[in-house]
Amino acid sequence: MTVIGTAVVRTDGEAKVRGDALYTVDLEVAGQLHGRLLRSPVPAGVIRYLDTTAARALPGVRAVLTAADAPAVRAGWLVKDQVLFASDRIRFEGEPIAAVAADTVEEAQAAVDAIVLEIEELPAVCDLEAALDAGAPLIHPDWERYETDLPPFPRRGNLACEMVSDPPGVDEAFARADFVVEGEYRADRQYQAYLEPKSTVAVYEDGRFIVHTGSQYPFNVRDRVAQFLDVRPSAVRIVGHHIGGGFGAKLDAALEPYAALLARATRRPVRLANTRAEDLLTCPSRENAIVRIRSAVTKTGEIIGRDVVCYMDNGAYCGEMPLMPGLPLHMAGANYRVGPTRVISRLVYTNTTPTGAFRGVGGTYCCFAVERHMDDIADRLGVDRREFRLRHLFEDGDRLLNGQPLDDAGILREAFDAVEERAPWKTLAAPNGRYRGVGLAAATWLVNPMPASVTLRLNDDGTVGLITAANDNGSGAVHTGLVQILADEFGVSPTDVIVNAPDTDLAGYDAGSQGSRTTHVVGRATQEAAANLKRAIADVAATLLEAAPDDIEIRSGGAHVRGVPSRVVSLSEIGRASKATTGTLTGSGNYASPLPEFNPACASGLLFPCLWTPSYHVHLAEVEVDPVTGNVHVLRYVVAQEVGRAINPVAVAGQIQGGVAQGLGYTLFENLRIEDGRYVERTLENYRLPVAVDIPPVEAIVLEHAFAEGPHGARGVAEPPILPVAAAIGNAVSHAIGQPITKIPITPEDVLAALASPGRNGSRR
Amino acid sequence: MEFRTVSTLDEALAELDERGGDTAVLAGGTDFTIQYLRGELRPASVLHIERVEQLKSVTNGSGLRLGALVTHRQLSTDAQVVRHASAVAEAAATVGGWQTMAVGTVGGNVCNASPAADVVPALLVHEAEAVLASKQGGERRVPLDRFILGRRRVDRRPTELLASLALAAPPPRTGDAYVKVGRRGAMEIAIVGLAARLTFDESGVVRDARLAVGSMASTAVRLPTAESALVGTSLDSGALDEAGRLLLEAVNPIDDVRGSAAYRRAVAPRVLARAAELCRQRALAGA
Amino acid sequence: MQLTLTINGRDHQTDVPVGSTLLQVLRDELRLTGTKEACVEGECGACTVLLDGNPLDSCIYLAHAAAGRSVTTVEGLVRSDGVLSDLQQAFLECGGVQCGFCTPGLLVTLSAFLDSGAEPTREAVTRSIVGNLCRCTGYSQVVDAVQLAAERRAAGR
Repeated sequence: MTVIGTAVVRTDGEAKVRGDALYTVDLEVAGQLHGRLLRSPVPAGVIRYLDTTAARALPGVRAVLTAADAPAVRAGWLVKDQVLFASDRIRFEGEPIAAVAADTVEEAQAAVDAIVLEIEELPAVCDLEAALDAGAPLIHPDWERYETDLPPFPRRGNLACEMVSDPPGVDEAFARADFVVEGEYRADRQYQAYLEPKSTVAVYEDGRFIVHTGSQYPFNVRDRVAQFLDVRPSAVRIVGHHIGGGFGAKLDAALEPYAALLARATRRPVRLANTRAEDLLTCPSRENAIVRIRSAVTKTGEIIGRDVVCYMDNGAYCGEMPLMPGLPLHMAGANYRVGPTRVISRLVYTNTTPTGAFRGVGGTYCCFAVERHMDDIADRLGVDRREFRLRHLFEDGDRLLNGQPLDDAGILREAFDAVEERAPWKTLAAPNGRYRGVGLAAATWLVNPMPASVTLRLNDDGTVGLITAANDNGSGAVHTGLVQILADEFGVSPTDVIVNAPDTDLAGYDAGSQGSRTTHVVGRATQEAAANLKRAIADVAATLLEAAPDDIEIRSGGAHVRGVPSRVVSLSEIGRASKATTGTLTGSGNYASPLPEFNPACASGLLFPCLWTPSYHVHLAEVEVDPVTGNVHVLRYVVAQEVGRAINPVAVAGQIQGGVAQGLGYTLFENLRIEDGRYVERTLENYRLPVAVDIPPVEAIVLEHAFAEGPHGARGVAEPPILPVAAAIGNAVSHAIGQPITKIPITPEDVLAALASPGRNGSRR
Repeated sequence: MEFRTVSTLDEALAELDERGGDTAVLAGGTDFTIQYLRGELRPASVLHIERVEQLKSVTNGSGLRLGALVTHRQLSTDAQVVRHASAVAEAAATVGGWQTMAVGTVGGNVCNASPAADVVPALLVHEAEAVLASKQGGERRVPLDRFILGRRRVDRRPTELLASLALAAPPPRTGDAYVKVGRRGAMEIAIVGLAARLTFDESGVVRDARLAVGSMASTAVRLPTAESALVGTSLDSGALDEAGRLLLEAVNPIDDVRGSAAYRRAVAPRVLARAAELCRQRALAGA
Repeated sequence: MQLTLTINGRDHQTDVPVGSTLLQVLRDELRLTGTKEACVEGECGACTVLLDGNPLDSCIYLAHAAAGRSVTTVEGLVRSDGVLSDLQQAFLECGGVQCGFCTPGLLVTLSAFLDSGAEPTREAVTRSIVGNLCRCTGYSQVVDAVQLAAERRAAGR
């Protein structure tokens, strides 16, 4: 009996419930020192004076390092625009200026406090549109000199990346339209707020750096540490540990290069850990953005063209953000047929904390904008919002704006139907005499395609060792997904799959736990590796069983001669035999998702060209608004999600519930506002994560249309549940109060203000 | 920093008598410890009174008497508090999570004197008096609205300990309520926290009104003019509007990270109306 | 200053400065790292321990205030024979654990909830853990786990 499709208990679970699981913050390396960073107290300025003399003289202090002590290089994931320490120009509040290592944290902090720093503060550039004005101060005056491994893409001054797609027919559509519906939608930032703040321990040994960190993407951290320290990548070894949550924020290096530099300077292991306040201040949060949409509409209710402009906040350094301007293109014309569509997205440098990946990168606010806009058009036409969607809905073979065909987009209709069956629209959308409302939203989303490498070995006790740099960020994609795939391949118990912690010295390249890719992409690599290990096992078993290798079948924890049930040898016997004869049996496999068909000429600056391994999603939310306070209560939340195949149904349900919860936080509770370049919310007291009473149990409908390339048909699961949440809630709240909501998060203040506004459409109730 | 734990009231008073000056009194410590860790407090010594059993009970004589060490969890579930001062129980039930409610005390909440303290407006509408004890001076009683002098400032002398809070007994046909405005369903510091205690006559006319609001000024405040506007009315919308207007005249809310002054002003009168209605329902249910 | 604590049934003596928090003593002195630090302001509950059976945030509780008292941490939740408690087992089966960083705190709070004998309705369970932030699960499978453990307890009696 296969374990695929069953609720196998995650194999790291027992250690976690016992409190035995060691996270990076729990590590202690013998002889370790403690580091602290001096971070800029202002968002923009010029360092006029920096003196570390007094700090160096303090008790317990082993090193005080500044830019003068670091290699004179620039580093960066996609564009090398980053320095390790600010030495003249300050580009965001929290930017490191110096690093201290001392015997205790208190001594390190005392030394940080003793550094004499004078900064001439400058006005912070943070308005996304004003930053692009001709006279705006440049965040990076030297931007032209920054290197990138990417093919050339449009960027200039504070414009970090521009994506333009201007197909024929847009202006004609607007000329032909009976009317035009316009909307502007805004979104604030969102902090990933994983429970484990970032930390690291670095060891310098034999000219190499051994860096312990709970990273989602160990190889990326390795590359960044190597760049900043100006050493070759193999001079850095990243050792992974349990991750106390990441959600995209632990893909790039953060503290690791500083710890490595301090370790080299002191010849001692150095531990660095963020306080929560530091973590919030410097985390690559989801970007704030502005989306403007105009749609050309006929009086028969057809959308015949669209024009979209999107501004995204890059913050002070790029990270992986230049990929993001591609997302509005994929979101603006997905799910619904909307005619020729022009999309311009601009990624803008500002004097703010660099932004980065957060589950559903670039998609959440685009989905909010597009789906709020769909309701706005339907309201303008006076037609039912669900009917209006169904009339424009994609069918099999419809294409995204990049020309990519979606062969199975008809699943969207199934998803709408599945939601309808659970929560009949007409009942919910009917006037209710109260401040209740219902909203729908759809999304098409991708699985990150980047490469995976897996090595398996048959241990001499018959267990299967899994060596991969793919880390389980908590989703269970390794400790249930890959484990179950292997248990199925070899017919062993999930507890007989031994997962090695990621180690960039041992495992082949893996692109990290991001974009729902682990089960799908690493799962495929795991299957490839399993096929190769089985071949090696079959060779040994053939000798033991005196049969031809081709007649050997690996299943049920052993090698069987086909058609002869009595001739079998167990994996543990084979493991023991290999120890004495062939040496350990191994098998490796690689996989990356193939590039789908699309039109590369559709746009310029399109660094994120398509939606690999598409999946389809429909969400419905029912809310009640408190007219006294403006608070929004979520009464009901229904999700229909295409997953391909649910390898572990409990894990899938957990991803859907958890993703929706993060989406509800984004939509209703989590303000991360910027004033003059500084965050207004600076602690978990003010940055409000949803608590247990705020989150209803999500009614999840899991659709399973096998995706041919996926392991057992699996697509990806983790990212998409957050995508349509703001849209569905925004539509429900707008319905409840008879006023369009145009901003995330939806605050009680906004709701109350909208309720008080004169143009309210009372006919809804 | 010195640290002393005492287990009787006499010990506590003796300690304060001897070295009251720069001594911080520590009960559950949910406010103290955060402020200490932030470096906002650096007392020479800490007197840990959390184990003084005499201060942990709720009694009812001519009104409730809440020992200073009664925890928020106790307040929120104690049958006498729920019955005679449901606003206090309601307010206590919103003070953080179980972890905070289990150790945070009513005395600590009062002495921390946060403008957003939930329990304080509820105590104010119950005419609570701070009962202070000292070795030399015996007992001193101060009405709560005079005991709290400002943000984090109370009228406690260095040798005194806040021993209990004495509430007035509510007349028949009285209802009380605490309504809190926050973003989430729990774990909120009040954006507005309003307590009301209304007494009605047999025809449903308000005979006595007490209102207090938190997070609208530097301390929680009673609202005497708004109270007067409700007395003699049947809580018709005109009276409620007038009370709301007078409420806004009596307060001075600020913009802070939790909410804007404009929002506080918009929402407070509506919350007053909601609390008043709850008082009516409860008064009638109890009648 | 000397400090004696009973932790998970065993007496521990240590000497820590006044002003140390209970969490610092557990993690840094005694190296009981199951109890997690995530905010140090009493917001997240990752550091929850039981003090004489009551949950509190050990990050904002002074260690010396706990002198002589009984502390239960996540490491002390297993049965005396070392087997997982019914709640720990149910967390595994129901998907109550993802990244696992909030899990120790949740388990500690919810152990107190189960021991209180309260009816484990969704409302009551979620109300009991408002002081425990979880960023992964959205809480639903945590509630499922509590209800499963309660069912098994009831059936076992």
